[in-house]
Amino acid sequence: MPSRTDVYKYVWRLPLILWQGLFFVVPLLLMVAMSFWLVRNYRMTPDFIFDNWERMLTRGYVWNAYEVTFLRATVAAALASLIAFPASFALAFRVSETTRRWAIFFLIVPFFTSYLVRVYAWQVLLAESGPINAVLGFAGLGPFTMLNSGFGAMVGYMTLVLPLVVILQTFSLAAIDKNLIEAAANLGAGAAQRLFNVIIPAAKVGLILGAVFAFILSFGDFVSPFYLGGSKPPTLSILIIDTTKSGQQWPRAAVVAVMMIVTLFVVAFAAVGAAYGRRNG
Amino acid sequence: MTAPLVRLEGVKKSYGDSVAVKGIDLAIGRGEFIAIMGPSGCGKTTTLRMLAGLETPTEGTVTIDGKVMNDVPVHARDTPLVWQSLALFPFLNVAQNVEFGLKMRGVPAKERRQKVATWLDRLGLSDFARRRVDQLSGGQRQRVALARSLVTEPPILLLDEPLSALDAHLVIRMQGVLTKLQRELGITFVYVTHSQSEAFAMADRVVIMGHGEIAQIGRPREIFRAPRNRFVAEFVGRNNILSGTVSGGAIDLGPITVPLPGAADGPAEIVVAADRMKISREAPAAPALAADFVSEEFAGTGIICYFEGPGGEELKAQVSEDELEALDPAPGARFYLTWAPESAHVMTGQS
Amino acid sequence: MRSGVLLRLYIAAVFVFVFAPIVTSMVFSVNSDRFPTVPLGHFTWDWYRTAFARPEVWTAIQNSLIVAACAATLSTLIGFATAYTDYRYGFRFKTAYLALALLPPTIPVVIMGLAMLAWLGRLGLSGTLTGIVIAHTVMAAPFAMAICRLRLNQMDAALEPAAWNLGATQWRAMRAVVIPFCAPALVSAFCLTAAVSFDEFIVAWFVSGLNKTVPVMILEILQGNVDPQINAIGTLVFLTSMTLVIAAQLLIIRRSST
Repeated sequence: MPSRTDVYKYVWRLPLILWQGLFFVVPLLLMVAMSFWLVRNYRMTPDFIFDNWERMLTRGYVWNAYEVTFLRATVAAALASLIAFPASFALAFRVSETTRRWAIFFLIVPFFTSYLVRVYAWQVLLAESGPINAVLGFAGLGPFTMLNSGFGAMVGYMTLVLPLVVILQTFSLAAIDKNLIEAAANLGAGAAQRLFNVIIPAAKVGLILGAVFAFILSFGDFVSPFYLGGSKPPTLSILIIDTTKSGQQWPRAAVVAVMMIVTLFVVAFAAVGAAYGRRNG
Repeated sequence: MTAPLVRLEGVKKSYGDSVAVKGIDLAIGRGEFIAIMGPSGCGKTTTLRMLAGLETPTEGTVTIDGKVMNDVPVHARDTPLVWQSLALFPFLNVAQNVEFGLKMRGVPAKERRQKVATWLDRLGLSDFARRRVDQLSGGQRQRVALARSLVTEPPILLLDEPLSALDAHLVIRMQGVLTKLQRELGITFVYVTHSQSEAFAMADRVVIMGHGEIAQIGRPREIFRAPRNRFVAEFVGRNNILSGTVSGGAIDLGPITVPLPGAADGPAEIVVAADRMKISREAPAAPALAADFVSEEFAGTGIICYFEGPGGEELKAQVSEDELEALDPAPGARFYLTWAPESAHVMTGQS
Repeated sequence: MRSGVLLRLYIAAVFVFVFAPIVTSMVFSVNSDRFPTVPLGHFTWDWYRTAFARPEVWTAIQNSLIVAACAATLSTLIGFATAYTDYRYGFRFKTAYLALALLPPTIPVVIMGLAMLAWLGRLGLSGTLTGIVIAHTVMAAPFAMAICRLRLNQMDAALEPAAWNLGATQWRAMRAVVIPFCAPALVSAFCLTAAVSFDEFIVAWFVSGLNKTVPVMILEILQGNVDPQINAIGTLVFLTSMTLVIAAQLLIIRRSST
């Protein structure tokens, strides 16, 4: 018989375990298992065969997709970090705390606001005859083809990740003990030396975290590469959707999904290692 | 004094409407250990930060080594500061922290290593060179901060309440380390503190600041025995402040008139240090202040007895333990306080 | 400070980039051109009229609201229970427990969609609103947990023991002390998780079948062609989720400053 205290304790502890166990862990495990299933005549049968793995891992287009996805996510993470940094720097050091709070407030809003519709807006904005080309046209430039290209996809990735990266960077920069920066100046460090020798090392964790989230989100994104990148070459997400939606080839999609999860796991692990790694030189 | 190393002339600092430093003049000599002391908000830290270039004076000039420093940016000065928080770089180890200033100034690696080794050794940190700073004790961190500041061999070291975070026993030890270092190096120390014992124990001269102004500059003994005004006398403490009117070499304090040779006629405030007050049970022949015993306080070097004077004012007298036992005061007991005329100091300054 | 001015301008540019699509969508929703460009066409409510004349739009709105309300309620309950457990108890495998609580948002939604499709299908829930509610709760609960946890952080650790000391049972203390203290966070968590659910389209698309939510419908219209009706529906989606997210934030800002 559990005591009254135990009942109380488990009432709060169990909901998460039951819900996320049943509807998060089990589905993912099922998906992993599914990657070993047999598909015949458009029907799946539980099995333990490596056919799906063999098929997917030996196809050039899968590896091409992998390469494109990984490369784009890496570029997106780097680009977002670089674009965000001056803004985060200014928000952390050059504006009042009130301004900073409101800026963060308004950056959180788009992060939770229909990404799909925002991407659609970019589709209109970046179109051959769209407003941006029209404005450039007045200046005698263009028209430029911005849609259905790596550029278009990158605009989409930035839409997805930039607010989050700015938020994470700003938090970590604003949290730096101002005395450290003053101490560096006092010890003879000029503005650039302060930036590279104190500010960036002190905010390292947040900067890496921002880049990792940018990578994770871009790596898994389907909307930007599809609607702005023109789905050629396809990314892994597009591959999963195509494979899933066009019949019963779920096990092959599951193979791609497992490849993606393993990649994200390795990247996240490496990044955490770099962020919290040993600091002694 | 030879040409002073540091000279502040009419230095003011205001932030919008609030004035932190109202206009101070101060000359600090080479090799001098000077303490700037005062209650919080008196402008002492702002003054120090202006020396380091972390604040720009609103008015007036700061001169170091004959050069006007107002427009010299922080990093172009050689005025290292030991911070109250120490501000050690958590992402660097001990040796890297000490090396920082040399690296910023582009000192070649070989020379850097040599100097770092010398200073780590000098402050007894050689064994901790590769340690992370958060793995050190308070006293060790203190010494890292010192080494980091001194490694460039500056002509001046600024210290902003550097011992305030340490345990009492470490404070005494670090005071010893600091005085010894300052003597050996022969450089100027400017030491900001709110602690009287630190200032009086180490400094050649003490600057007392209040409300953004310098209230008094002097050797510790001068400040203690001859405070210029009520502010200084109260800040230093253990003083009896009495006001009255002087005429013909005597001061009328109300209940009594006591001799005060050499004083100018007119209203005056005098200070009598607690340790110069004599207590007796019987009214003496000389004029004495009748006062009622209130309480006693053990003060290390003796015992401070508190009395309520004739006008309700607080009076203090320092006695030894034996004396206290002999007097055996009970609360409310009547005593008589007297002092030698030469022990009374007339305060000339405005408060 | 010229560098200060430049940096401020830079912040402004970043904000323009972030908000440009939202503003564009709103402007184009009342602009007559089918393929909008500058100069703009004339003002019109036509796209709204066309969009909202379609019964399936209303069905989708209804579906979205039902799903968001249910998923937000469940997420808030689970999120609060988890936050309270983390605040109050230490136990073995707590790291694993917290990983379970916070990991879902890091899994790409496409993968969540596939996994959900497979599992809910086996449970016979594929193509039902219940299925979408389940999936959205999995994805949104971590946000509710984070908000409640931050609020509990602000609670004096002695508050609950003080209630026990005055004779309250654990349940009574929860009802009289912890829940009132967390009330703004609970409402905030509800709003934010409702927004997460209201905006989510990939997993919903995978598992929805014929019961489409608003964003799923947008996704399907998008696969056709450029259609300004999307701007009209999109503006509605923006306004809903922005209201929810702003409310969620204001609720916790107000209280945390007292």
